[in-house]
Amino acid sequence: MLGKGEAAGQAHLHKDDDGGEQPSGVVKLISAEGFEFVVDKKAAMVSNTLRNMLTSPGGFSETREGEVRFPEISTPILEKICQYFYWSLHYSSGKETSEFQIEPEITLELMMAANYLDT
Amino acid sequence: MGPGKASQLRSNRFVISARIITMGSACSRKRGQLLVDEEDLYSARFSKSSSFKWLLHTLPRSGSDVHRKVQGPGPGPGRCPSLVELCVAKVREDIGRYSDFSRLPRDLSQQIFNELVEWNSLTEELLGAFRDCALQDICLGDYPGVRDSWMEVVASQGLSLLSVDVSCSDVTDSGLNQLKDCINLQSLTCNYCDQISEHGLKTLSGLSNVTSLSFKKCGAVTAEGAKAFANMVNLGNLDLERCPKIHGGLVHLKGLRKLEKLNLRYCNCITDSDMKHLSDLTNLRELQLSCCKISDLGISYLRGLASLVLLNISRCGIYDEGCEHLEGLVKLKVLNLGFNYITDACLVHLKELVNLECLNLDSCKIGDEGLIHLKGLLQLRTLELSDTEVGSNGLRHLSGLRNLQSVNLSFTLVTDIGLKKLSGLNSLRSLNLDNRQITDNGLAALTCLTGLTHLDLFGARITDAGTNCLKYFKNLQSLEVCGGFITDAGVKNIKDLKALTLLNLSQNGSLTDKSLELISGLTALVSLNLSNSRVSNSGLHHLKPLQNLRSLSLESCKVTAIEIKKLQLAALPNLVSVRPE
Repeated sequence: MLGKGEAAGQAHLHKDDDGGEQPSGVVKLISAEGFEFVVDKKAAMVSNTLRNMLTSPGGFSETREGEVRFPEISTPILEKICQYFYWSLHYSSGKETSEFQIEPEITLELMMAANYLDT
Repeated sequence: MGPGKASQLRSNRFVISARIITMGSACSRKRGQLLVDEEDLYSARFSKSSSFKWLLHTLPRSGSDVHRKVQGPGPGPGRCPSLVELCVAKVREDIGRYSDFSRLPRDLSQQIFNELVEWNSLTEELLGAFRDCALQDICLGDYPGVRDSWMEVVASQGLSLLSVDVSCSDVTDSGLNQLKDCINLQSLTCNYCDQISEHGLKTLSGLSNVTSLSFKKCGAVTAEGAKAFANMVNLGNLDLERCPKIHGGLVHLKGLRKLEKLNLRYCNCITDSDMKHLSDLTNLRELQLSCCKISDLGISYLRGLASLVLLNISRCGIYDEGCEHLEGLVKLKVLNLGFNYITDACLVHLKELVNLECLNLDSCKIGDEGLIHLKGLLQLRTLELSDTEVGSNGLRHLSGLRNLQSVNLSFTLVTDIGLKKLSGLNSLRSLNLDNRQITDNGLAALTCLTGLTHLDLFGARITDAGTNCLKYFKNLQSLEVCGGFITDAGVKNIKDLKALTLLNLSQNGSLTDKSLELISGLTALVSLNLSNSRVSNSGLHHLKPLQNLRSLSLESCKVTAIEIKKLQLAALPNLVSVRPE
């Protein structure tokens, strides 16, 4: 994950080992401040809202361009959400046993964003 | 989230408590479809002081964190908690940081509210943070500490408020009065609120959108107080169980044409004169009148209630003539006539009720002759004949009822010979033969009923030889064999019934620690009773593998409370009910 313009080559958030990668490729999530987070589609689809955007046939422009803008979600919150996507994948595969840490300062804002993303 | 969710939560709570109670009462012989009815009758009441609540609160909570909570009871990783759920749990943990949730979207503040209630973390002080949150459901039934001062915040939800439950609270008239402007309220539950008077009740009369109202055991429901119901023309569900002063009040229900469910159980001041006001409620689908003081005349007012699907008139004191009036109620699926003075002559009136699925004739003066009229009730699934004069001859009339799933023949005159007539009832799941005449021979006739999940042989004279038959019942989930003739050798035939969750072998005085060892493989067991046996402290360690055990009864054995306590602490964390204690 990395901020816009920090480096030429964009680093991606990846799962450690990806066996059968069904939804291939990545998607770019852009925060209110313009920071871009590049995550695996499979991770992004932990969010039902994103899943609908990315899978509905011919529907959203997001699907074609591979990026989704969130003018209402700040950078730290979007970062936390991306972390959750991967935590969730690991949890479901039984590899994750530690708790997902949430800082008290961001709980409410994170909850609202999570609610919007249906995740 | 609508009011549906709230009521579902409530019913879940109730189911859990009812189940635990059942498991504890190992000696109860009345176990069956109409269980809750019986439970209610004997277990005092569901309220502040009842034992229900104690058991409920001692149940292991969902766990100390949301991660375990969503996993459910079974093993395995379970469903991943959503980020919203994690945040809600986090808010609960840090609840001291928050003083106002009103800027949150409604569905989120609702989830936080529910979480605090579920974890018993809500206090009057914290409640203030939910002022003006536009919450829809305030489900505080049975919640400690709820009183008038809480109601101001409850009422501040205003037009958003759809359902409120303040059962078992100390709320008074002035608290209730606060709700009068919440005119969108659809569901209101104030069971066991003994501080409410008829004046308080009448302040609710403007809540005309209410579809579901429950005031169990409420002294405010009087001839005067019941006026409040007259304007609630949208009522579909009204629960006034155990209201002690309701006599004269039913006249105000006359116009409630949308009423589908009416519960007047244990309102023992209701008489025939009250009953006539029910005669026009032709949309009624469920009517409970158990323990009302009504005679055959009172029953005659039910004649036109052709939509009835469920009718409970047990313990009303009805004679055969009363049953004539039931003839036209052909939609009935559930009919409880238990504990009335009816005889075989009455059953002819049930002949045409071909949709009946559940019939309770417990403790009626029914004998073999009458059962012939049940022959055509092919939809019957549950038949309760406990404590009747039915004998072996009568059972032949049941052999064609291929849908029967549950039959109770405890304390009847049925003998071994009669049981052959049941051997073709392949749908049977539950059979109660708690009856001294039944012996090994009778049981042998039933071995083809391999679908049985519940078998009660509590008082039957089953010996070790008879236990060989039990091996056929591989699906058994509950088994009671307490006739006194079972030894360790007989338990060998039980040890492979791996589906058992309830096992009662009490009163078999010869059982030793060897039996405990044999039982140790029955790891699904939730309730175990070996009271009045020779089981001793030194055998207790065999129970360690029974990780699902919640109830253990070893009264009058060579077992001490302190040793059971040690076992409980060391190995059986789910154990909540222990005898001796």
